Amino acid sequence: MIHPFELHRPGSLGEASTMLRDLPDAALLCGGTELLQVMKMGLARFEHLIDLKRIDELRGIERLDDGALRIGATTTHRELERSPLMAESYPGFVEMEREVANVRVRNMGSIGGNLCFAEPHSDPATFLLAANATLELATADARRELTVDEFVLEALTTALEPDELLAAIRLPAVRPGEQVVYRKLAFVERPAASVCCRVRLEDGVVREARVAVGSIGDVPVLVESAANELLDRSVGELEAAGERAAEIINAECEASDDINGSAEYKRHLAGTLLRRALRQVAEEAGHAGK
Amino acid sequence: MQESKVARPQVDVRLTVNGREHELRIEPRQTLAELLRGPLALTGTKVSCDSQVCGSCTVLVDGLTVSSCTYLAADADGRDVRTVEGLANPETGELTVLQQSFIDYAAFQCGFCTPGFLITASSLLEETPRPTREQVIEGLEGNICRCTGYQQIVDAVMAAAERSAS
Repeated sequence: MIHPFELHRPGSLGEASTMLRDLPDAALLCGGTELLQVMKMGLARFEHLIDLKRIDELRGIERLDDGALRIGATTTHRELERSPLMAESYPGFVEMEREVANVRVRNMGSIGGNLCFAEPHSDPATFLLAANATLELATADARRELTVDEFVLEALTTALEPDELLAAIRLPAVRPGEQVVYRKLAFVERPAASVCCRVRLEDGVVREARVAVGSIGDVPVLVESAANELLDRSVGELEAAGERAAEIINAECEASDDINGSAEYKRHLAGTLLRRALRQVAEEAGHAGK
Repeated sequence: MQESKVARPQVDVRLTVNGREHELRIEPRQTLAELLRGPLALTGTKVSCDSQVCGSCTVLVDGLTVSSCTYLAADADGRDVRTVEGLANPETGELTVLQQSFIDYAAFQCGFCTPGFLITASSLLEETPRPTREQVIEGLEGNICRCTGYQQIVDAVMAAAERSAS
């Protein structure tokens, strides 16, 4: 059995933050798919769990005036995969969410919980990094924003202050000619390698690009030199550019040996996944006549 | 001999299980699987991997499949829980079309994974009454069987869908 704890159910973000500050050995609980798992395994022990599921301001998906999407941190993977708003703006995000872990984890697990647990093999973290998302952190009386790479510091470690919560995730509006494409390979529940690219095409030429590689090392990383290979390339040149970008990933990306394979193998996987993602970018651009 | 009693945190839970309401005082640390299999004596739900991977512990909470091994019973407060025991007709004991199909298509051997498959497949068929074979396979991806090789399970679900439609 899990070690005994007291369960608290705050009704507001402020209340939750105050509890987090004041209660000793406390942790935030949402879907519980990570937290309860490690508690069951005896890897973590908390005297107090603070349940976030009854806090309205942490829920929901909305489109902001500038076209950006704001996702409440307690939104489940299931809600995201079925959201018409998400499907309209970020079909790649919906596809990614649809493949997270398994259906039961998606029914309970929250995107906020996934990001805050900061397990190295994370589909959402990789996607959101490439997509240039911002994360809203909050306490009872303060707010701040971080990018994904500012937030995820090390394996299982984030930049959250002791009394801070992740409140929401903001995805920038999608501009004309933009695509965000995600690819992963998973042998078990968590991805062995995950890659996401955000590309903006204008008149068939890449004007902006971001490439994120995740799951092979301790944290997801932006690979700027790989993204630079794509700049000013036409759709027809993307295949060749992808090969060079994959070589960069092989040379530069930090990876570790794990259950999915050697570091070398995982870097190779990441490079291949990027090439496949770019193939899709080219196909979509071709259909769209850009 | 002196006994020392440590006061443990408690929480009140009111939940419906297979249509029956329960009011309980439990420890917050108790999982739904522990509650179902222990005090409620509903041992149809199994615990195998205890890591949300195998699906043996699958139950429905407000219509959604969850891994009861990693779900706090306290979180079921105010909710409607369905287990494998709740599938058949409570009065007559008549099996559902799906359960009968599992028998007819030899979709179980040791039976340990079966409750989880039945709950998952029931939920799948409720949402998608006429699934394609691919949809069934995808829908059952999160449930593991070590005996059958899965084909019989997929056949049973497809047959149940067909039988329910006619």
